[in-house]
Amino acid sequence: MNESDKDFGNKAKATFDASVEELDAATLSRLNRSRHAALAGLQQPARRWSHWAPATGVAAALLIAVVVTQIPSIDDDAVPAAVTDMEILLGEDSIEMLEELEFYSWLTVADLDNDVG
Amino acid sequence: MEVGTAVFAVSCSDTPLTGARALQKQQQLNRFLAEVERRALRIAEIAVRDRDEALDLVQEAMIKLVRNYSERSDDEWTPLFYRILQNGVRDWHRRQAVRNRVMVWFRRKPAEGDDYDPISTAPDPAGRSPDEQLQNSQAMQSLETAVHELPARQREAFMLRTFEGLDVAGTAKAMGCSQGSVKTHYSRAVHTLRDRLEEHGP
Repeated sequence: MNESDKDFGNKAKATFDASVEELDAATLSRLNRSRHAALAGLQQPARRWSHWAPATGVAAALLIAVVVTQIPSIDDDAVPAAVTDMEILLGEDSIEMLEELEFYSWLTVADLDNDVG
Repeated sequence: MEVGTAVFAVSCSDTPLTGARALQKQQQLNRFLAEVERRALRIAEIAVRDRDEALDLVQEAMIKLVRNYSERSDDEWTPLFYRILQNGVRDWHRRQAVRNRVMVWFRRKPAEGDDYDPISTAPDPAGRSPDEQLQNSQAMQSLETAVHELPARQREAFMLRTFEGLDVAGTAKAMGCSQGSVKTHYSRAVHTLRDRLEEHGP
């Protein structure tokens, strides 16, 4: 790495640090709350995600069936995409995604109502 | 699971810490997280281009670090924390890809204003003249956009080395790759960014 690369890195670092210093009070407050929430977990036993495994598995399987079989116009990389979807849907966040699906469904109906109205 | 994850084997414990040891550990972790959280937020924000999502990712990384790695020595926390955060960012991008496919299914057209607007979310500067504010804001916007457009691994290497100040070994641990790969990714990132930002800074 030459001197001009180092100089560029120093300038980029200074610019970045300035943006960090300019974070607003609301954001800093949220970071503070997040930190304390995380530290509260230090005195609690680790969450056993396995308690949710059966429900998550069933829900994920249903969603996978919908995603893999119903989405139209899956192109050349259909198989890798389906595999990637499966990995994600089997993750811990699948419940959150299912909850959001209800919202998207509601949103679609609301949009249709607006279009009609 | 990324290659190299085994470097940091999970050390989950179901036994809560108690007494003076717990208090000491809590204070150490508090100092560490307070020191790193703002830079981590900006790094995550550059990667996902959404402050709320970045805040969630940082909180998740904090929780995982505390739950799984609090017993590690404190000099391991920085690369571990960024390893968790980078994995969170990658998972976020994957989830976004899935959501986009699901949205196609529901045929919802994105509303105007759904797009990220860097100007509206630009930080509110304080204590500088208007010219200085504008100059710095424009420089950061240019840098942020250019960094965001880098390939993911180059972006990670550049942000961890330059913004967080990790050395090559720490960056390699955080990225789960060899030190040689870090050097390659970082060098390519710097040259790409210099070319793109030649006229606009930083």
